[in-house]
Amino acid sequence: MKKNKINYSKEHKKYLKQIKIDKFTTLVAQVLLLVAIVGLWELLTYVGVLDAFFISSPSRMINELVELFKDGMLFYHIGVTLYETLIGFLIATVLGTLIAIILWWSRKLRKILEPYIVILNALPKIALGPVIIIWVGAGTGAIITMCILICIVITTLSMLSAFLECDEDKISLMRSMGANKFQILVKLVIPNALTEFVSVLKINVGMSWVGTIMGEYLVSKAGLGYLIVYGGQVFQLDLVMASTLVLCILACVMYLFVGLLEKKVRKHKE
Amino acid sequence: MDNYLQLKDISLSYHTKEGEVLALKNIDFSVKKNEFVSIVGPSGCGKTTILSLISGLLKPSSGEVLLDGEKITKDTSIGYMFQRDNLFPWRTIYKNVTIGLEIKHQKKDKESLSHVDDLLNKYGLHDFKNSYPSQLSGGMRQRAALIRTLCLKPKILLLDEPFSALDYQTKLSVCDDVHSIITKENQTAILVTHDISEAISVSDRIIVLSKRPATIKCIQKIEIDRALTPLKRRESPEFSKYFDLIYRELTSEKK
Repeated sequence: MKKNKINYSKEHKKYLKQIKIDKFTTLVAQVLLLVAIVGLWELLTYVGVLDAFFISSPSRMINELVELFKDGMLFYHIGVTLYETLIGFLIATVLGTLIAIILWWSRKLRKILEPYIVILNALPKIALGPVIIIWVGAGTGAIITMCILICIVITTLSMLSAFLECDEDKISLMRSMGANKFQILVKLVIPNALTEFVSVLKINVGMSWVGTIMGEYLVSKAGLGYLIVYGGQVFQLDLVMASTLVLCILACVMYLFVGLLEKKVRKHKE
Repeated sequence: MDNYLQLKDISLSYHTKEGEVLALKNIDFSVKKNEFVSIVGPSGCGKTTILSLISGLLKPSSGEVLLDGEKITKDTSIGYMFQRDNLFPWRTIYKNVTIGLEIKHQKKDKESLSHVDDLLNKYGLHDFKNSYPSQLSGGMRQRAALIRTLCLKPKILLLDEPFSALDYQTKLSVCDDVHSIITKENQTAILVTHDISEAISVSDRIIVLSKRPATIKCIQKIEIDRALTPLKRRESPEFSKYFDLIYRELTSEKK
């Protein structure tokens, strides 16, 4: 790549420069937007146009976080929520994919279960909250169950459709070489669905946070969702806003990780 | 070996909710060892169905298919080439080519592996062993697809319009390429195509099918020097004569 650089024409250099400028101005605008929002928020609450009691303010959020950190509670709450989310995310992804494999394998089972899956998908899972608490108990288990329920149906449906989309010609090719169903699954259908799998991971990153926070709203004694609910109940908007901010950052980091994985997988796409 | 492959009075019906469709009727022909036979016919007449029957992917409603005197089973070694190369984009060329050995659990068999190396060397893909399909041209990819089937030492090669997805220039050169490989490897091949010129340029015999339900209208022997490449065969004086004959057979409406 470096060798070619010398041979670039003036026009091409200009073109490359334009791309760089474009990228840079977008980034600057993005940063400015953030600074403007934070600054305006701080300013308006400082001069009293807006009531910091109702909408908090950036400085108060930071103070709140520092206080939590000093008490040693910040990372405790983050840890609880992160644990619930990751476990829920993993179980839902693995289990959902396994169910999809079983449904791919048996056409008959797929036909039989189809209406039930459609209903399960349409059902707002939060409605099952009381049932989950009674069955699993009001604790971490219930939160993780909620998280799994929210992720698993969409995982199964997306993976199943990815498996079924596999090219018929490629399956015939495998069969003409004497492949059995298991070989077709492992050597063709699953690797073929890898890109879709990464998309499912991306969806599940978002969904698992939704599930966990919903679960925490219902039953928790700790975690970011708990802090938000608690903060709301005692009218401490600083706590609510600060916790939401932390949640934002955590979800972003998790999304970035999946993004890295995606880059690796997409390398050899047709 | 006059009857290497035999199709004996084959009929096949498709069953759909709307009813039963007779796709093939009394198909009866045989192919000699090392022979190159083409099947031409109007689109949708069931050419590909015949290949599916020979490969054992479909079972006939009546009649039987014999290869080398035996019934086709799951373990019969058949090479199948499709319209698209169907290389797996996530595998390197080498891993694509050896997938058949993987399936048959011969991945550690020294003899098979040296055969693979031979083929890759002979047909100029050795330097691209570790490349991915997306890095190869359409012609090279189709060659890799052919080598993939040859690795299993198939008893017969079935070619289902393998050139029709390529542009015209590439098509001609890939056709030359594939034909010369098949000849060198002493393979028996059946090509399904709707392109009359293509069929004449590669075949020893051409089977002309009628509209659905497909029956054999005629079997035309092509007597152009086999040593010539398909491209050269296209230039031979008999070529247009054969073209006329087959074109007339295809378009005539007699039942």
